[in-house]
Amino acid sequence: MRAWAGVAAGLAAASLGVAVAELLAAVTRPAAGPLIAVGGAVIDATPTAVKEFAVRELGTNDKPFLLGVIGLVVAALAAVTGAVGRRRRLVAVAGPALLGLAGAGAALSRPAFQPYDVVPSLTGAALAGVVLWLLLRSRPSGVRVDRRVFLQAAALVAASGGAVALRGLAGGAPGRARESVRLPAAADPGPPVPAGLLTSNKDFYRVDTALTVPRIDLGDWSLRVHGMLGRELRVTFEDLLAMPLIERPVTMNCVSNEVGGPYMGTAKWLGVPLAPLLRSLGIRAGAEQVVARSVEGMTIGTPVATLLDGRDAMLAIGMNGEPLPLEHGFPVRMLTPGVYGYAGSCKWLSSLELTTFDQFDPYWVSRGWAAQAPVKTGSRVDRPRPFARLDAGVVTVAGVAWAQRRGIEAVEVRIDDGEWAPAELLPAPSVDTWVQWRYSWRATAGPHSIAVRATDRTGAVQAQERATPFPSGATGWHTISVTVS
Amino acid sequence: MRATKLTALAAATLFSISLAACGSDSSSSTTSSGGESPMAAPTTMASSAPSDMMATFGAGCSAVPADASNPGSFQAMAQVPVATAASGNPLLSTLVTAVKKAGLVDSLNSADGITVFAPTNDAFGKIPKADLDKVLADKKTLTSILTYHVVPGKLAPEALAGSHKTLQGDELTVSGSGEDFKVNGAASVVCGNVQTANATVYIIDSVLMPKS
Repeated sequence: MRAWAGVAAGLAAASLGVAVAELLAAVTRPAAGPLIAVGGAVIDATPTAVKEFAVRELGTNDKPFLLGVIGLVVAALAAVTGAVGRRRRLVAVAGPALLGLAGAGAALSRPAFQPYDVVPSLTGAALAGVVLWLLLRSRPSGVRVDRRVFLQAAALVAASGGAVALRGLAGGAPGRARESVRLPAAADPGPPVPAGLLTSNKDFYRVDTALTVPRIDLGDWSLRVHGMLGRELRVTFEDLLAMPLIERPVTMNCVSNEVGGPYMGTAKWLGVPLAPLLRSLGIRAGAEQVVARSVEGMTIGTPVATLLDGRDAMLAIGMNGEPLPLEHGFPVRMLTPGVYGYAGSCKWLSSLELTTFDQFDPYWVSRGWAAQAPVKTGSRVDRPRPFARLDAGVVTVAGVAWAQRRGIEAVEVRIDDGEWAPAELLPAPSVDTWVQWRYSWRATAGPHSIAVRATDRTGAVQAQERATPFPSGATGWHTISVTVS
Repeated sequence: MRATKLTALAAATLFSISLAACGSDSSSSTTSSGGESPMAAPTTMASSAPSDMMATFGAGCSAVPADASNPGSFQAMAQVPVATAASGNPLLSTLVTAVKKAGLVDSLNSADGITVFAPTNDAFGKIPKADLDKVLADKKTLTSILTYHVVPGKLAPEALAGSHKTLQGDELTVSGSGEDFKVNGAASVVCGNVQTANATVYIIDSVLMPKS
């Protein structure tokens, strides 16, 4: 057998092996494909300066370029294996085996690996080994037809492998969508949450300016943390999954919510605690705000002091046990307990920059909204509904009250112009969630109004004075009218 | 020979599989404008206005501010609940005063989906001042009159004609069709099908009075 035949056999076998491995991965776990896994390992091992250079010079083509280089290296190794393997059959077996082990090892080196991630690489390698052995054993010398058939077959195998590789090049990491995410358990799972406290993801309010919900491919996504820091950081989604995670029930409020309005909800959020991450990068003196940017250009600023004061600010990746829903910021959003969403909870996060207040006005601040936006103490009547027609007798009045970071001390209910009466508070898991309350009202016939107010644990009573949502959140005691007959 | 056939078969099979796999390519990330944010700021975006806003009708609509950044515009009103929306509209300032005096702001804002017949300032102007002041000072009567202007559910123009039970308890009757409606035979709809976050509003030129 001539050397060209050995090279062709090596290339064909390797193409087949890689193609089978990528296909297996595509239908099981895309991240386990050898090209993606090796690519991820190479990116991890590359110094930041080189990465920055690649991003600067190649832009969004950096990942296709990397995969192309990996493909060429594999092809070169396969060609050598085929040529040498003609005479030394041990090499023909050892070559594919070593490449397979390299792919499997790379898959295992990924932060979110599963033991079965080695299967695509090892299967592809085994197939490549068998095919190479068979190709090298056949002797397409002498008979011209055999040589043509051999060449066609080898070309076809190479082309099919190439098609899969091209698909990887074009799509970066095919199929790395929300469905492929398996969330790890929290290292710090937080307090138990009473039944009925959480808002389902389906019912959770959504207020943003996105005309279409961003659909982010995890293969294209990374988070850059930069600005007034000792060193900057770029992390992939897998990097975040590998960090120790916390899970916390937190109530979120939209600043544009009217008194009694619907734009608030409570979920269990899973994420990377932000304060230790920022501290580990060395926050420089004078850094005042963290400006979060979303993939589509939203900017949201949060005071550094707020993020470092002990609250559970996090890079959230999970919501009520699921990966973040697309409309709630998949793959990663910021979450700052006790601050209105527009000032602490950027969705579809792409970067965090440490800067000063003077240097940059975030999107809503430049439109007149307050730069510092702690959630104001509030309460709401959820039952009965406004304008309800009720029967005389005992009516259960119920709702929620909130004072994130401070906690709720008391909730009081007033019927018409009567005295304020204490409501019963149900257990709450932390000061960062709303508190459910209820009050038994002996309702008499006629039109009535029901008002509610809360007192936080500093002793401050919820503001009675009416304020509009602009510029820092609505205030006033929620008061509804009902008719009893 | 045997090996080349095997290879060709494997290659052909594989090629067809990999072509099929290409068909399920994941979509790339899209771009838009967004992020967690307040909804209706005085300087808000107008681009997310609902499409059915175009369906407002009536000569009185021309008095509504056209500039989307004006809180009284249709675009701004569509983003906020009904009492807040009315408070941004200078045509409805007397109604807003009455709603505040009756303590109905929160009830109207947090109702689950209602239709409001909203009398203009001119409509209130038809009532002798002494009578109007007396009603504004009597919370019970005021509440009765105002809730008579509210019907449960959002009524589209097609469903407007007919009798509807109000939140006050009495019925009101809408006659007419197309873009020409009268309520209880007297009050004309001067601007109809105005959308707010939780209510559909029909602006009328006379105040309605319940029977009871």
